[in-house]
Amino acid sequence: MKELPASERAPFFGTYEKVTLGLLLLAFAVPFLTRNPQILSQSNLILIAATAALGVYIMLRMDLMSFAVPAFMAVGGYTVAMLGIRSGVTDVFALAAAAFLVSALCAVPLGWMILRLKGVYFVLVTFVLTEICQLLLFEAGPLTGGSNGLVGMPSVTVFGYEMYDNSHVLMITAGLAFVGFLIAAVLTRALRYEFAAIEKNDVLAESLGLACWKYKALAFSVAAGVSGLAGFALVNMLLTAHPTSFSPLSSVNYITYAIVGGKGSILGTLIGAAILVSATEFFALRGELSPGLYGLLIIVMTLVAPGGIMGLAENFFRRFGKRDSKALETKVAVQSGSGHS
Amino acid sequence: MSALSSNGGETLRIEQIAKSFGGLTVFQDISFEIKPGALLGVIGPNGAGKTTMINTISGRLHLSSGRAMLGNTRVDGQSVFDNAKRGLVRSFQQTANFSGYTVEDNLTSALRFSGQDRSSLSRLTPLLDRFGLIEHWNRNAEILPYGLQKMLGLTMALATKPRMLLLDEPAAGLEKSERTNVDIYVQYARDEIGCGVMLVEHDMDLIKRLCREVIVLDGGRLIAQGEPADVLNRKDVIDAYLGGADDEDEHAQHS
Repeated sequence: MKELPASERAPFFGTYEKVTLGLLLLAFAVPFLTRNPQILSQSNLILIAATAALGVYIMLRMDLMSFAVPAFMAVGGYTVAMLGIRSGVTDVFALAAAAFLVSALCAVPLGWMILRLKGVYFVLVTFVLTEICQLLLFEAGPLTGGSNGLVGMPSVTVFGYEMYDNSHVLMITAGLAFVGFLIAAVLTRALRYEFAAIEKNDVLAESLGLACWKYKALAFSVAAGVSGLAGFALVNMLLTAHPTSFSPLSSVNYITYAIVGGKGSILGTLIGAAILVSATEFFALRGELSPGLYGLLIIVMTLVAPGGIMGLAENFFRRFGKRDSKALETKVAVQSGSGHS
Repeated sequence: MSALSSNGGETLRIEQIAKSFGGLTVFQDISFEIKPGALLGVIGPNGAGKTTMINTISGRLHLSSGRAMLGNTRVDGQSVFDNAKRGLVRSFQQTANFSGYTVEDNLTSALRFSGQDRSSLSRLTPLLDRFGLIEHWNRNAEILPYGLQKMLGLTMALATKPRMLLLDEPAAGLEKSERTNVDIYVQYARDEIGCGVMLVEHDMDLIKRLCREVIVLDGGRLIAQGEPADVLNRKDVIDAYLGGADDEDEHAQHS
């Protein structure tokens, strides 16, 4: 009788997670390398977009496309603005914890209501949720400042040190992005088998004893918390919390970042956000042609790389690599906690 | 039975169960019992309600009336995953595995979801070797031949260490030479794991080889119960499978 082959113990973090977290650590160096406000601002926007897109990435691990990211960004952003303006809380650690926890807790009852849905129904309900959130921000004036938003947010502090200029803001954003990516990486790696099973065949997974709803609820809640961190970073950059910063249509951008980057890996989210935010800025120089050029870029990328940029890169290395392609393909899928993008 | 690996099976008691969708009655007034380590064959023509019965007993669908008990626990109306944790595990007619995952990862997932560690895999080594799955250990499951995928899905169900297995046409789509794997599988489940088995199947040779008792469903009713040799020779059972005399007359008139 043959023996079972020895199991290769994969490291907790795969290559993609390590590279992603490494790149985010490099972002801390940007303020020391340049004082150029455009580069600082651009880096800020990329990191905020990437952190927001993580909310989409986490849910896509279970084949659920969420349009709810702006809603939870708003919860995180307004929580921070209220604490800063009305309660005088400026400590970055307290504010980050509040942004994460309040958003995550808000997601619990919402998740209970909507996580039994799948496919287009889930898409539709999360989009409507974001619309309702936008409406509440405008209508709940005494709490949210209505159409004026909440302005005059004080600078955040780190161990009592005030973070007031552009480079400081980038440091805060990089810190929040790092924490967001770390949380998402730990979640998607620790539960990669569960998430992949739900994505590929939830009926089979349940028949083997997996309580799919628990993992969906946990992921939805953590995705909301990470979106809350992105909301904090956005409000901190703008020094104001305004409903238009959390427009329902911005959810399309976050989904695009995750998919164009490659929904199969966390690195894809960062790369997708970096390329598309840069492209937006670049096309903005072409005035009214900008939306058309941006749309054209997405069409071309989707046609050329249906698995996203990371899928394209994986195919490239597979074609020129010497290892057994099929084995590598499946190992990559497991290590990145995903199936095929 | 191996005392080391036995799971301490439970009796499955089905008491006068019925299932309807609106005005359509899928099955009604069905009762039977499967003791630990026992095997009950369930046969019947397509549309007799066999798969729906598995869906209701396993918790995927609610019963319209009656109840299903595993030991002292009522299992109908409970969630599929809770029932799986209790040891009531089902298989599927089609191939059922996680595409894109290797054979090893599929089995690891089954162990993980049922709360066991990888060392539990060793008790399945004889089966994995017999089915030829060890040779494909690190291959993507979705590119394996149909027969191997089918046996992988069945072995995943067994990896959860069930107390009662509900097998939905395990031989469907298998070549004749591969069907003996189902014999070995069922024998292993009963003798080594110690679980009872409900075997829904169309392959009468397999039923005759494996089962000492079968029930026959037709039009949602239990029309016969007993030893295969007796039951399969009954006129009403033959009519159910081949079409009754009345059906033939009707068919002749139409043509």
